Amino acid sequence: MNPLSAIRHVDAAALQPLRAPKPALEARAAQTIPLEELEKVALEFNLNPVAKPELAASPFANTLAQMVNEVGAKQSAASNAVNGLLSGQSVPLHQAMIAMEEASVSFQLMVEVRNRLLDSYQELMRMQV
Amino acid sequence: MIDMLPGIDCTTSALTAERIRLDVISQNIANANTTRNIDGKPYQRQQVTFETALRRQETGDGGGALTHTVKVAHVENDQRPPVLVYNPAHPDADHAGMVAMPAINLSEEMADLIVASRVFEANLAVVKNSRSMTIQTLSIGKRS
Repeated sequence: MNPLSAIRHVDAAALQPLRAPKPALEARAAQTIPLEELEKVALEFNLNPVAKPELAASPFANTLAQMVNEVGAKQSAASNAVNGLLSGQSVPLHQAMIAMEEASVSFQLMVEVRNRLLDSYQELMRMQV
Repeated sequence: MIDMLPGIDCTTSALTAERIRLDVISQNIANANTTRNIDGKPYQRQQVTFETALRRQETGDGGGALTHTVKVAHVENDQRPPVLVYNPAHPDADHAGMVAMPAINLSEEMADLIVASRVFEANLAVVKNSRSMTIQTLSIGKRS
């Protein structure tokens, strides 16, 4: 799985509005990048980073994958903290809140990076040949 | 790890430390009239001392910056002697009718409580500012 696959889904749907409507695809495009997708990506890259030869060829994709990993790690840290808090382990409240905040801010950073990528891609597509 | 919120490590440790201080103060207030502790003596007032802990913050290139975080060094017994109060009906009274009460001054504890909650608030303000700085930074270059 490619780190940009989620972006591609969104993009394909957004760029080709004239195609026959595909409700499933459009429903996906309506959301932002789904969390499960991110987690899948993160897991995949954790487990076998060498198994993807085309990634080794493009360092930027690696960087992106690393970022997605980091964001996934923050999300899981936040959910661990909240679980710990709610299940009565001695996780202080502020730690859970800060972990959630950190997860949300880094997610925003990721979305921002994705937006920029999409913008530049669309800029390229609009180029006159 | 990406350092998304600047200075958050120190602040988290300070918040934790202040929470522990709050715990100890509440313990002091709750036990202001406890004449028999686990060891049979009146409750001894407790106080916390903080110390700096160095934490190496990993940066991506293998190096790291040292951040000075706070941790609770000790929870110590206050050495003030118990206050003797005349109360011959009390079960813990000695033969002269004096009861040893813990030397806890409620107004002192309330002042400590105010200090602890203000420091907590200050650290929360740091968190809030740090977050808004990051969010504002993310909006660099946004059109519209």
